[in-house]
Amino acid sequence: MPATILVVEDSKTVRALIRAALLADDYRVVEAPGAREALITLEATPVDLVITDVNMPDIDGLTFTRTLRARPGERSTPILVLTTENGEAMKQRGREAGATGWLVKPFHPDQLRDTVRRVLESRA
Amino acid sequence: MRTGTVTISIGGVYASGQPTVIKTLLGSCIAVCLHDAVRGVGGMNHFMLPSGSGDGDDAGRFGVHAMDLLIGAIMKAGGDRRGLVAKVFGGANVLDVPGPVVDVPRQNVAFIRTFLEEEEIPVVSADLGGRYARHVHFHTQDGRAFVKRVRRVRAQERLRAAPPVKYGEITLFE
Repeated sequence: MPATILVVEDSKTVRALIRAALLADDYRVVEAPGAREALITLEATPVDLVITDVNMPDIDGLTFTRTLRARPGERSTPILVLTTENGEAMKQRGREAGATGWLVKPFHPDQLRDTVRRVLESRA
Repeated sequence: MRTGTVTISIGGVYASGQPTVIKTLLGSCIAVCLHDAVRGVGGMNHFMLPSGSGDGDDAGRFGVHAMDLLIGAIMKAGGDRRGLVAKVFGGANVLDVPGPVVDVPRQNVAFIRTFLEEEEIPVVSADLGGRYARHVHFHTQDGRAFVKRVRRVRAQERLRAAPPVKYGEITLFE
């Protein structure tokens, strides 16, 4: 069965770009326009990997990552942060929050797919 | 407070919460100025084509990345995405070249209209299309924009190319 990936991103256009990149590798893609919607989605839909933006209205991606890590069911779900934030300090905060990886935007679809594949294979 | 000046060229993105005048020169390219009036944060980008992820690594030339980078830069400078309004300039048909190249300005205009609508960012002013190049000055603090159309761009006015915006780095922890 193809892996299910949750994409948390407030920009509809960027969500569509990520979706297109992932669908090319036959993943199932579930989308949320914000962390709040993502948390609700996760209550009903188990996913194999999460991709999240950082700067979003309401709840930022790092708070979202910490919240997920505190949930018993999501302690080991890989979380990839995909953001325009490229500073080392922010990256370090991402690591401390429990992120699996940090991808700086703009992203190339091939790079995104390669990273997702590597992360999923390492968990298999 | 002293107002700084920043000039951006193709692929450039700049945003600030400090009073700054951002300048650019446009032909068929588009510049989008975003402004958060409540927080006094504004920014501008300058892109060449709607989208693409082809070879080469100058991702900032593409509108879809340039918009994402601009919104990111605005938020980093203290702006709120939900309070943004847009002013949009450029997309002129400045080249008298027959063939597919003439479609670029129209594609750029169509892209940015769709993008801003989908992202629910209201367009408060726009000066798009036509045949003339444009000088644009944008004030980040109060959101004022000034446009001067020019029939001919003098050689010394041309902008030096910005360093390419590369596709981002990937770090896997553990």
